[in-house]
Amino acid sequence: MLETRNLDKSFGAVHVTRNVSMKLERGERRVILGPNGAGKTTFFNQLVGELSPDGGSVHLAGEDVTALPVAKRARRGLSRSYQKNTLFDGLTVEENLGLAAAVHTGKATRLWSDSLADPEVREIVEEVAEQVNLMPHIHAKVSQISYGVRRQLEVGVALATRPLVLLMDEPTSGVGPEMSKRFHALLNNLPRDLTMLIIEHDMDLAFDVADTITVLNYGEVVFDGLPEQARGSKLLKDIYLGSWEDA
Amino acid sequence: MFRHNALRYAVLVVLLAAALFQAFTAEYFGLEILTEILILAILVLALDIVAGFGGMVSLCHGALMGVGAYAYALLSAKAGIAPPLAMAGAVALTGVTAWAIGAICSRSHGIYFIMATLAFGQMAYSYVFEALVFGGDDGLGGIARLDLGLFGIDLNDSRSFALFCLAALGAVYGAAVLILRSGLGRSLSGVMHNEQRMRALGLTVWRVKADVFGLSGMIAGLAGALAAQHIMYISPGLLSWTVSGEALVVVILGGLGTLVGPLVGAAAFVVLKHELSGLTSYWHLVVGVILIAVVMSRANGIFGWIEARWGDRIERRVADATRKPEPEEATSDA
Ligand SMILES: Nc1ncnc2c1ncn2[C@@H]1O[C@H](COP(=O)(O)OP(=O)(O)O)[C@@H](O)[C@H]1O
Ligand SMILES: [Mg+2]
Repeated sequence: MLETRNLDKSFGAVHVTRNVSMKLERGERRVILGPNGAGKTTFFNQLVGELSPDGGSVHLAGEDVTALPVAKRARRGLSRSYQKNTLFDGLTVEENLGLAAAVHTGKATRLWSDSLADPEVREIVEEVAEQVNLMPHIHAKVSQISYGVRRQLEVGVALATRPLVLLMDEPTSGVGPEMSKRFHALLNNLPRDLTMLIIEHDMDLAFDVADTITVLNYGEVVFDGLPEQARGSKLLKDIYLGSWEDA
Repeated sequence: MFRHNALRYAVLVVLLAAALFQAFTAEYFGLEILTEILILAILVLALDIVAGFGGMVSLCHGALMGVGAYAYALLSAKAGIAPPLAMAGAVALTGVTAWAIGAICSRSHGIYFIMATLAFGQMAYSYVFEALVFGGDDGLGGIARLDLGLFGIDLNDSRSFALFCLAALGAVYGAAVLILRSGLGRSLSGVMHNEQRMRALGLTVWRVKADVFGLSGMIAGLAGALAAQHIMYISPGLLSWTVSGEALVVVILGGLGTLVGPLVGAAAFVVLKHELSGLTSYWHLVVGVILIAVVMSRANGIFGWIEARWGDRIERRVADATRKPEPEEATSDA
C-alpha cells in the first residue's frame, strides 16, 4: 500500500534519512520507534511531500508519487497528523473535522452550498468524532479543549479525509500513559483495512498497536520485524537502558 | 467563517435606517455624499472578503475598481453596448483580471503578497495612463447611467441613483455573506488559519485563493461600474494606488474581517473627509491621526471596539430573551 525505496535526505552535512526502504501491506499497522532526532518526522515529511528527498522514491497503492505535490498525494489517500498540533485554532472541533471531510468529498470549493451542512460531510464528521472520542467536545472551540483532546482532534482531522494510509507522528506525545492507552484502544477499533504508520516514542505503547516495528537510528533502519522479535532483541533492550548510541 | 450576531444585526439596521433617511431627506449635496459612501462601501466589502477572511491584503483593489469603471465606459460609450450588458461585462472582465492576479500572487504571503498586488495595480495604472483608447491623462467622459425607464425610474436623478447604489450594496452584502458561508468560504478561512494543514488535507490552495480573489474582483468591478456612472467621467487617477490604500485604511478603520465594520468605516471616512476638508486642507493628517489611534487601541477598528465593549452584553441579553443559540438567517439587512 505504501512503500519507500532507498529514500535519502541530508540537511547540509547532516544525513537525516539514510537509504530508508520500508513496505506496508494493506491494513498493516507499523510503528516507527527511534530516539529524538533519529529522523522520524523528516521521514514523514518526505512521505507526504512536504519535503522532497535527495534520492529514492515513494510509492502509494502501487504508483510512484515522489514527484506529486502535497495536496495531490493527500487526495490519493495519504493523510498525516503532526507531532506538534496543527489545528484550526479559532474554529470548533466540528468545523475542524468538517474542513477535512469537505476536501475529501469535493465540497470544499463549492460556492452554492455550505460544506458543513452537507449530509455526506456531516456523516464523516460524526463518524470520525465517534472514532476518536470527540463527540463530547464537538461544539467546543480548539482553544476550549484540553491538550489531550487536541491530540485526539489532531488525528481526527487526518482521519476525516478518509485516507487509505494514515500517518501519525507521535499521536500521544505529552498526554500521559493512561490517556495514551485509551487512545491506542481507539486506534485498534479503527477499520482493519486502514493502513497505519505510527511514530511512537514509548516502546510499551508501541506494542499496543503494532503489527510490525521499524526502528530508526541516525536516519537508518536498524530493525524491521515483528513485535515478538523486537521484545527479545538486544537492540531494544539498549533502548530501555537509553544507550541508543551503541545500537 | 462569517457569523451574524445581535450586535451585527443591530448595526446593520442602524446603517440601513440612516442610509434610507439620508436618501429620502437629503438635498443634492447630501445625496452625492451618500452615493460616494455606498460605492466605497461596495469596494471595501470586496477588500474585506479577501483581506479579512482570507489574509490576502490587497493593494490593487483600487485598480480593480478602475478596471471595472473603464470597462463599463469603453463598452457602453465606445463600443455602444447597452448599459446593463456593459455593466455585466465590466463585472465579468474585472473578475477574470482579479482571478489571474489572485492565481499568480497566491504563493506569496504577507508583505510579498501586498507588494505583488501593488505591482499589478501599478501596471494597470500606467497602461491606462499611456494607452490611447483610454483617453490617457484626460480620461473619458460622456458615460451614461443605466436606463431603468422601464420600471419608471430615472437614474439621472441623484436620489434614484443613490437608492440604486443602496440596493446594489445590499445585494453585494448578501452575496458576501453567502460566499463566506459556502464551502469555498469555509476553505478560505481554513487557509487563513492554517494553510499548511489545508494543503496536507488535499486542498488545492491556490485555486481557492484565486477563486475568492476573482469573486472579490467582480464586486470591485461593480463598484467601478457604479463609480463611472456616478461621476459620468473617469480618469486614470481612479486606478492610482492611493485609492487601494484608502480602501485598506477604511477596512482597518472599520474593523477587518467583520463585513459590518468596513461599512461603518466607509461612512465614517467619507463624512470625515467632507467635514474636515471644509475646515482644513490637512484633513489627511487628521484621518492619519485617527487611524493611528484606532490601531494603537488594539481593538479591531471602530466596530471591533464597539464589539469588545458591548458585544457580549447585547449577545447575552438577546440569548436570555430568545433562548435560541444562534441566528441561522443568511440574508442581509443592508
Ligand atoms: N529543516 C531542517 N533543517 C535542518 N535540519 C533539520 C531540519 N529538520 C530536521 N532537521 C534535523 O534532522 C534531524 C532529525 O529530525 P527529526 O526528523 O525531527 O527527528 P525525530 O522526529 O526523529 O525526533 C535532527 O537532527 C534535526 O535537527
Ligand atoms: Mg519528530
